[in-house]
Amino acid sequence: MPETAPNLYRPMRAEVLEVITETTTIKTIRFKPEKPISFQTGQFIELTIPGVGEAPFTPSSRPAIADVLEVSVMRVGKVTEKVHQLHKGDTIGVRGPFGNGYPIEEFKGREVLVLGGGCGFAPLRSLMYSFFDLSGQFKQLYFRGGCKTPSDFLYRTEIESWAQRPDLNLELTVDKGDETWPGHVGLVTLILDSVKMDFANGVAVVCGPPIMMKFGTRKVLEMGFREENIFLSMEKNMSCGVGKCGHCRLGTYYPCKDGPVFRYNLIKNSPEIWD
Amino acid sequence: MRLISVKGASSEVIESAVLKKRDLKAFLDKLSISYDVYFPVKRNNHRFLRKYTGSADDIIIGEVRPVEPIKAFFTPARERVVEGFLQDVPGSHRKPLAIFGVKACDLQGMKVQDHVFKNHGFKDPFFIRNREQNLIIGADCTCAIDTCFCLALGVQPYPTADFDLNMSTLEDSFLIEAGSDKGRALLEECASLFTQATDHDNEARDAQRAEVIKAVEKNIQTYDIPRHDRFQGIIERNYNSEIWEDEAKNCVECGGCTQICPTCHCFLLYDQKDDMQMRRLRVWDSCLLKGYARVAGGGNPRKKLWMRLRNRFDKKFDFFPKVAKVYACTGCGRCISVCPAKIDIRRVLRRLVNHA
Repeated sequence: MPETAPNLYRPMRAEVLEVITETTTIKTIRFKPEKPISFQTGQFIELTIPGVGEAPFTPSSRPAIADVLEVSVMRVGKVTEKVHQLHKGDTIGVRGPFGNGYPIEEFKGREVLVLGGGCGFAPLRSLMYSFFDLSGQFKQLYFRGGCKTPSDFLYRTEIESWAQRPDLNLELTVDKGDETWPGHVGLVTLILDSVKMDFANGVAVVCGPPIMMKFGTRKVLEMGFREENIFLSMEKNMSCGVGKCGHCRLGTYYPCKDGPVFRYNLIKNSPEIWD
Repeated sequence: MRLISVKGASSEVIESAVLKKRDLKAFLDKLSISYDVYFPVKRNNHRFLRKYTGSADDIIIGEVRPVEPIKAFFTPARERVVEGFLQDVPGSHRKPLAIFGVKACDLQGMKVQDHVFKNHGFKDPFFIRNREQNLIIGADCTCAIDTCFCLALGVQPYPTADFDLNMSTLEDSFLIEAGSDKGRALLEECASLFTQATDHDNEARDAQRAEVIKAVEKNIQTYDIPRHDRFQGIIERNYNSEIWEDEAKNCVECGGCTQICPTCHCFLLYDQKDDMQMRRLRVWDSCLLKGYARVAGGGNPRKKLWMRLRNRFDKKFDFFPKVAKVYACTGCGRCISVCPAKIDIRRVLRRLVNHA
């Protein structure tokens, strides 16, 4: 090939270092790729189970660490079923990182609200690590997170421990509580009244299941955040990762290369935004 | 031989020539030394491309486009893109292709394919490998079939660009025009096969082109097909129209329209089921199929078939003009012929344009 473009469809070999059971449906896979993968929080990778298939995941680990990555995977289909059967020492494939992450530089010096739900905690944990690594450079950080039940709470112990941080204002909620749950009960959009900040100049990050994203975005707009300061992480059917295969198209964008993190104003008119 | 001097060039450059029909085989033989040569033939009233293996008795240079679009040479329906964790791009080493009889609608389709795979963002190594070093030998259409409506898309029924050589079929010869340096060099190299084009040859070509234009215009009138200058905003304006549900009533979700379309480019990365080894194929996909946009957990932005039919038109008449300044339809009419439900793009366009 005279013009040798790299074969971005070919995954790199990676070794599974650890499999952590998070909830009944979610496991976290720690793996070491053959070569380090530097990523920006919010970018995604394609993980291959050789001989089975591949699926996109946003790393939940600290972007500053490029030689060992983590993804938290909910068991929902053929590939994720196999991901859940992985053991230490197994070989997997990994491609990426793809797309655009959060423009963290732009958040410096500002108040930031992070609104997360369910699986959305995976990329948001990585985002929070990025913030913690730059601690002191943001005016104030707010985290508001919600899940269905306490047993669905991804990284519960870790996230609860963040409550001790002076640089973070954190509140959590579940749709349905139990005896272990000391926090709020109800939807995450209902625990935002305690967020006191200059909304017009603040940043809102919304990440979670589509229905939560829809109502979460509606809520932060009502609060006074500007459309261009609201960052959404769009879940579409990303496959090739480079804007060729067509699957993830959203209006005139391909979330795999133009996203998955979008400013709300860019995609607000796409009829398929919340579907 | 007519020699036309090109300003700035160090030597005179041959721009056009005439090849006698009886010398076509000699030309094919010459090309087949360096190329795998493909040309159109006709079977049961349909045209197909077949590989030249020494006989060219059934060659049809003119007429209209073949059943398959030429995208199949550059992004085959099924192509291996990964073999284990190997660094090398797998693939068979073949001679470059010389494809004869390529029609203007297929060349227009390659504008979209080139935008996706070659000219925009990540350069696809497989497409580039398949696309480069080939010889594209275009040909004027010498007739129109009733599904032809290229002129409505602003595409002439004869190639005007993006070819190495172009052939216009005359009575007992072909008028050949060069469209690239490679084409000019070839005219030079094979000079002994050619004679000089006369004014009469040029006039004969022009007269034939005018005849075919008239035939396509007649189709446009007969089927009341709107022209591309009326396409702007037709998708946005009709996004929530009942047209989609109505048109999708009989759709059987076969995906034929996307397979046969010269501009459709969507693919699926498919990992072959094998415990021992990873092998990834790129296979043509279709946005008409239910699982196309489905995400993990079952969410699907286009649950209903009519939403997927709308998406096909959205991509062609809204997405591509916005991102690449080209309508992803060439007026080739293949999707009309292939559809078992008689979903007719000419009718859909008419409804979209006329709907208030």
